[in-house]
Amino acid sequence: MRHGEYKTPGGKLVQVDCEVIGGRLHHVQVTGDFFLEPPEALDAIAQALEDAPVDASEEELAQRIRRALERFGDSLELLGFSPEAVARATRRAIE
Amino acid sequence: MTELERWKRYRWQLIAGEAFDPALQMALDEVLTRRVGTGERPPTLRFWEWTAPAVVIGRFQSLRNEVDFAEAERYGITVVRRITGGGAMLTEPGKVITYSIYAPPELVAGISFQESYAFLDRWVVEALRALGVDAWYQPINDIASARGKIGGAAQARRYGAVLHHTTMAYDIDPEKVPRVIRIGREKLSDKGVPSAAKRVAPLRQQTDLPREVIQEHLIRTFAERHGLEEGMLLPEEIEEARELVRTKFGTWEWTAILP
Repeated sequence: MRHGEYKTPGGKLVQVDCEVIGGRLHHVQVTGDFFLEPPEALDAIAQALEDAPVDASEEELAQRIRRALERFGDSLELLGFSPEAVARATRRAIE
Repeated sequence: MTELERWKRYRWQLIAGEAFDPALQMALDEVLTRRVGTGERPPTLRFWEWTAPAVVIGRFQSLRNEVDFAEAERYGITVVRRITGGGAMLTEPGKVITYSIYAPPELVAGISFQESYAFLDRWVVEALRALGVDAWYQPINDIASARGKIGGAAQARRYGAVLHHTTMAYDIDPEKVPRVIRIGREKLSDKGVPSAAKRVAPLRQQTDLPREVIQEHLIRTFAERHGLEEGMLLPEEIEEARELVRTKFGTWEWTAILP
């Protein structure tokens, strides 16, 4: 099990736990002391990282997350973190 | 519309006095948020009393990453998960001041999420300052003082309403916190350290007033500023919350929803 963390300056902590199988991310769990509405958006974030190649860049990972969050429209609210913060924590878990 | 006019548009009801166990507290927050959302209950301010100590973790936190279960058990501390985000906190009967605000979304319409935290706790900062505590709001969600963090707030926008709850340390032993709540290095990596790790400055170190007197003063401040009527929990609200403890807040599936 791999573990990575990133804390947005002035914001909140993001933790990513995952496994790397066959060069791809699996069993991704994204957690932290951030605020997020609706709560179901967290599953979408973790799902977006599932199966991502280990050599995906931070920007590519953030893009996967942003795309997965589009369906929440105006109801979406992230406070204290961002897709980029999750992507950075993910990269740290991989490295 | 001024800030005070926003508050004064509603007839606020107060619930205070009765103590509940940690899981039931979590459930009551969901039940009362739902009922304000449907209009079955007027906008409400609830002050909590605890029957047992607890570690309350945020909706999006990992159970194993946040809590040292063996240590919590050794201290007889229950672990529960709330419906709002934010960080883990330790609560003990008589040692914290906790309240919830259940409001229609219109109360904070046009105010950003981040701004709404300061807005919804402004009356508390005013009340503490009137007691001689040099408190201020520290974004995103902290009530702070020169000596350290006093408390933290968390919100959920769900079920057609806004839930905003805040816990302030009155007499929490800061030494005990890191024994049950895990604090990693990354959390301490910038000045904004997480809820559990921040230097906590309990109110008791900043005023000689007993907890009950501070709480009464908070209630009086809210009443004078916004208007407030005595209210009570309805038997069916408590029954609904007990059912939610059975099906959700008292279950491992919920507490470990993010293992």
